[in-house]
Amino acid sequence: MASFERASPALKEILLRIYSAEKPIEVDHQLYEFGSVEYHIKSSASDPQFTYLSISTPLLTQEVLLSYGLSPYTMQMVREISADVLEIVEPAKEGYQLTLRLDFSRIPRGIDSMKVITEVSSVQAVILSSQLKEMLQNVNSWDTSQGMYKPIKLVYHPREPFYVIRQPQKIIAVFPMRFKEYSDVIIATSFFQELMDVGSSEKWAKVPPCSWSPIPPPELRGEPFEELSTNGGFVSFEISSRHIEGKRLDKTVWSLLNFYAYVKHHVKCTRGFIQRRMRKRLESLVEVLQNSSLEEDGHIKKVKGWRYMKKLVTLSSKSKILKRRCGDFTRKIKRIRFRIKIHGFGRFRRRWLTMPKFSSPIGYTKLE
Amino acid sequence: MASTLRLYLTCIRNTLEAAMCLQNFPCQEVERHNKPEVELKTSPELLLNPVLICRNEAEKCLIETSINSLRISLKVKQADELENILTKKFLRFLSMRAEAFQVLRRKPVQGYDISFLITNYHCEEMQKQKLIDFIVQFMEDIDKEISELKMSVNTRGRLVATEFLKQFI
Repeated sequence: MASFERASPALKEILLRIYSAEKPIEVDHQLYEFGSVEYHIKSSASDPQFTYLSISTPLLTQEVLLSYGLSPYTMQMVREISADVLEIVEPAKEGYQLTLRLDFSRIPRGIDSMKVITEVSSVQAVILSSQLKEMLQNVNSWDTSQGMYKPIKLVYHPREPFYVIRQPQKIIAVFPMRFKEYSDVIIATSFFQELMDVGSSEKWAKVPPCSWSPIPPPELRGEPFEELSTNGGFVSFEISSRHIEGKRLDKTVWSLLNFYAYVKHHVKCTRGFIQRRMRKRLESLVEVLQNSSLEEDGHIKKVKGWRYMKKLVTLSSKSKILKRRCGDFTRKIKRIRFRIKIHGFGRFRRRWLTMPKFSSPIGYTKLE
Repeated sequence: MASTLRLYLTCIRNTLEAAMCLQNFPCQEVERHNKPEVELKTSPELLLNPVLICRNEAEKCLIETSINSLRISLKVKQADELENILTKKFLRFLSMRAEAFQVLRRKPVQGYDISFLITNYHCEEMQKQKLIDFIVQFMEDIDKEISELKMSVNTRGRLVATEFLKQFI
């Protein structure tokens, strides 16, 4: 599968470990990536100077798989990764398409060493992109008398092929889009429409014209039905000679190879964004409801008995409270001023003049 | 456009104020049980006439009342496919977290996007006016949130498309 980084992270880590080892180490690793790419890294202590790296990768199209291996153009691009450090070994190791001999002693020390190792780790991306570069570089060299050009099916990801159709003065890249979920289809469709809107504006006149259609474009008529059944429609880019001049060729090729990954990444990020936004909104919506609640807790409350309840019931208005307080104060003054002591009267009052109590003064527990 | 929304919400508010007169009523079918009669619909004498308030063909509100419970079902407007999936996602998200809202139903009534179930117990715990305010505010917030989500998704798509096309220059 295409990833945005060209270098394989696992391969880079192993090569770095071999390079930075203080003494020669025995390494014999086999790496598998994306289900179809295979690496074999071998370094022995008896021959510490060289490390052997073998690669097996499904090619973009079987048309370029020549009887003697990869095309000369691809071989040349691989050599250009780092001419000092790597050398192509002929023939390649059995089961692999390409074997490289790496001489780490020629890697310059310092910051450049990381750059060289990263470039070597991106050999798989170089092989695949060189095939597409070869096709795109021949934009102007096709004879128009050939008539209808058959679409070339390229496979960068096993389940996500795309087509390249050669036409006079341009090449059309068509991407059939498929998604697992309906919501992904809708998010991607809105992205494709934005892509068309942006690409058709005057400011972006230099970019390849882009179009989206829910049905297969006319260039793909005749292809097998299962290849053309999609739920996300078809996205087409028209690549002309100005998009592949000089350094733009590499960028154009890498953008086309990573288009699927780009769209899938955008859809995934959008789903995450929607989820985060919903969570945030939920909190604000719940807060509104919580403010409308009468009681906060439902704990069991203990009240102080009938005297307290009588006080609560009688405390109905401010004027009555004021009257009661005045009355209390007046009675207090009277008691102080008119204090007449009669011996035994207190006992008489307590025994004969008190009102009987009909309720218990003990506090009770209110059940909720 | 805003005036029709105001009228629609005012009509719903007035209907809710009239309908939210709930009292405790034990189940007549099973003793010692207390169930929301609007959900069971076993006793017609306990149910009031349902009221359907339509703003347009796409937006409507169904208010079903009974003696001890009230059910409000909303159908939110969905202009295109993107609004459709955003509405479904968002309302499903809220419904799955119905316990946070207390009055929200976990599954909407068939034909609607979201449903509330208010019982007499809710009316005892919460203030009636605030409940009605919450429902109306919820409707406004949902519309606003869906519109904002849609705009954000389109804006993100545009930015990502711009970044992708920059690589060709």
